[in-house]
Amino acid sequence: MKFHFFHLMPYPDLPADFRETHRSVWVDVPSKLFDPAVGHRAYNDYLDELEYAAQVGFDGICVNEHHQNAYGLMPSPNLMAAALARRTSGVKLVLMGNSVALYNPPTRVAEEMAMLDVLSGGRLVAGFPVGTPMDTTFCYGQSPATLREKYREGVELILRAWAEPEVFSFNGKYTQLRYVNIWPRPMQKPRPPVWVPGGASVETWDLCLDNDFLYANLSYFGYQEGQKIMDGFWNAVDRHKLPRNPYRAGFLQFIAVADSDAEAERLYAEPALYFYRRCLHIFPGYVNPPGYMSMATLKAGIEGQVSRITNRAGARAEMATLSWKDLVDRGYLVAGSPATVADRINDMADKLNVGHLMTLLHFGNMSKETTLYNTRMFAEQVIPRLRPRFSEWEDRWFPRDMPAAVAPAVSPEAVS
Amino acid sequence: MKDETVSLPSGRQWQVYSGGAGPNILWLHGLRGVDPSDPMLAALQTRYRVTAPVAPGFNDLDELARIDNIHELVLDYDDLIGQLELTAFNLIGHSFGAMIAADIAAHFPRRAERLVLLAPFGLWNDAFPVTDIFAMPYTQIDDILWHDPGARERFARKITADADAKIVAEQTVRLAQSLTAVTKFVWPIPDRGLSRRLPRIACPALLLFGAEDRVVSPRYAEDFKKGLRDAETVIVPGAGHMLPYEKPQQVMGAIERFLAAVPAKVA
Repeated sequence: MKFHFFHLMPYPDLPADFRETHRSVWVDVPSKLFDPAVGHRAYNDYLDELEYAAQVGFDGICVNEHHQNAYGLMPSPNLMAAALARRTSGVKLVLMGNSVALYNPPTRVAEEMAMLDVLSGGRLVAGFPVGTPMDTTFCYGQSPATLREKYREGVELILRAWAEPEVFSFNGKYTQLRYVNIWPRPMQKPRPPVWVPGGASVETWDLCLDNDFLYANLSYFGYQEGQKIMDGFWNAVDRHKLPRNPYRAGFLQFIAVADSDAEAERLYAEPALYFYRRCLHIFPGYVNPPGYMSMATLKAGIEGQVSRITNRAGARAEMATLSWKDLVDRGYLVAGSPATVADRINDMADKLNVGHLMTLLHFGNMSKETTLYNTRMFAEQVIPRLRPRFSEWEDRWFPRDMPAAVAPAVSPEAVS
Repeated sequence: MKDETVSLPSGRQWQVYSGGAGPNILWLHGLRGVDPSDPMLAALQTRYRVTAPVAPGFNDLDELARIDNIHELVLDYDDLIGQLELTAFNLIGHSFGAMIAADIAAHFPRRAERLVLLAPFGLWNDAFPVTDIFAMPYTQIDDILWHDPGARERFARKITADADAKIVAEQTVRLAQSLTAVTKFVWPIPDRGLSRRLPRIACPALLLFGAEDRVVSPRYAEDFKKGLRDAETVIVPGAGHMLPYEKPQQVMGAIERFLAAVPAKVA
């Protein structure tokens, strides 16, 4: 099993009454709440935390893209990956990813990812999310009616830009380029592994399986809720007559480790509630604009419950009253002593069959000190218990270690 | 109403309702498609021959695969008008349909004899932006479309907790599909350059707005008037965005007066 340290980079200083006094943490969250001094501190703490995770033995460090969002301060995760490339070695840079339809032309994504792959010495995982409706349709103005088609065309262009050795022309519906010939080219051959973070749509699963991409479910609601989705994915794998290799799949899980279950509550209840109460306060009108989901997916979702959309709005209101106990009981958070956490993740591995675990060990307004502690506890006392899982499978969806890494440093003495 | 399928030269099939007798009206529906039992259409059919095509995408989103923008959409309508052999007609549109109607008249100024726009999309003014109806849960859209609760109750029943799940799902998917078709032409801002094309419209136009419209402010009447060569405005009191259903008599009366009194002028 492989372990990755995922950072959302939330703004850590939303007011206590944010939920009552504001409509949404995303899209139209007032910019007057953003204090650049707080942001400066947060960015640097967060990069320290990601670098620390690399030092204590995580396989990958993950950054992702959000726009106009107070719980995700990374409109450009590529900038963060570039900073991390210079300050780390060995650890893989899991860029989860670039919402392809937002870049014009999408060869920009091919270029920047190739730069990162070359700069880091072949350590890049290329994430291609469709992107949330908040990011893509409301913040970046893409029509939900054409978003997915534009995304698929962009992915096709990027893969060709990486693969084709000669200059070629691309006559797409959304992008027309007479000369495609990106410089630099990725270091990894034939290309960096592609991961697709996505929801529960058959279309996304087929895209992953047709192209040998990893599918990652980035849920904030834990593996008990995630099981239905991962079952759907593995059924799709069966339909494609492919082996159920756990390394085809990734899953995101909030994790809080301490000496005891009681200590976990003392350390982590406040940042967890900050995340679920303040950060997940998203205006329901932004969650599902017409056309974002295919009609088939929408129909399946609505018929499942009386009205999923209404219920979702209700579920969000309910976030206001969630307690630490609710979060743990429902499995949104895996929390407790190293033995408890290892036990739960073993259970997850059994049920979800996921080889790539993306851990959220920083969440909400957690302090740097607590984050480093959580990270160290997980790395030292949980990872070793789980490491052997799935060792019988080959992982073809992760960068291989490359020997030619250059140490990114120059000392004053080196210049004579 | 008669329900028939018309084939375009491109091969696309088009569902078209028609009925009544008298001068021709081509009716372009709003956000909810065509309801053949619609009393507004019934009232019009007492004096006119009404033809009401279902906009591409409303029945099947795949119909939009080959229609990329408002210009291609208007070309499809022009093909349809040709197939229907409508040589003299009054063009009436509501909401999104009014945006299409205005653009048909702007692209093909020799087609329609008179133009009626009910709460039209198509222009943008920073001082009174068109409401983002896509940024609200499906269950709340009717709250903003309707002003008159009685009319709303007749045409768009409130979804209640004890409603039949299958019916709710069907209604919601239908609405989502209709709005998806609309987003292709109005996302993120319903301005595709119509203001620059309005002066091309050669026929007389009637602008009808609900005084209480919370989606497209009646203040847009002035902006439309500025661009049109020959336009008059009627603001209907006590009506919202769904004015033809909220105040059918007033709307019918204004349309009848306009169609009877104003001589057709085609470029």
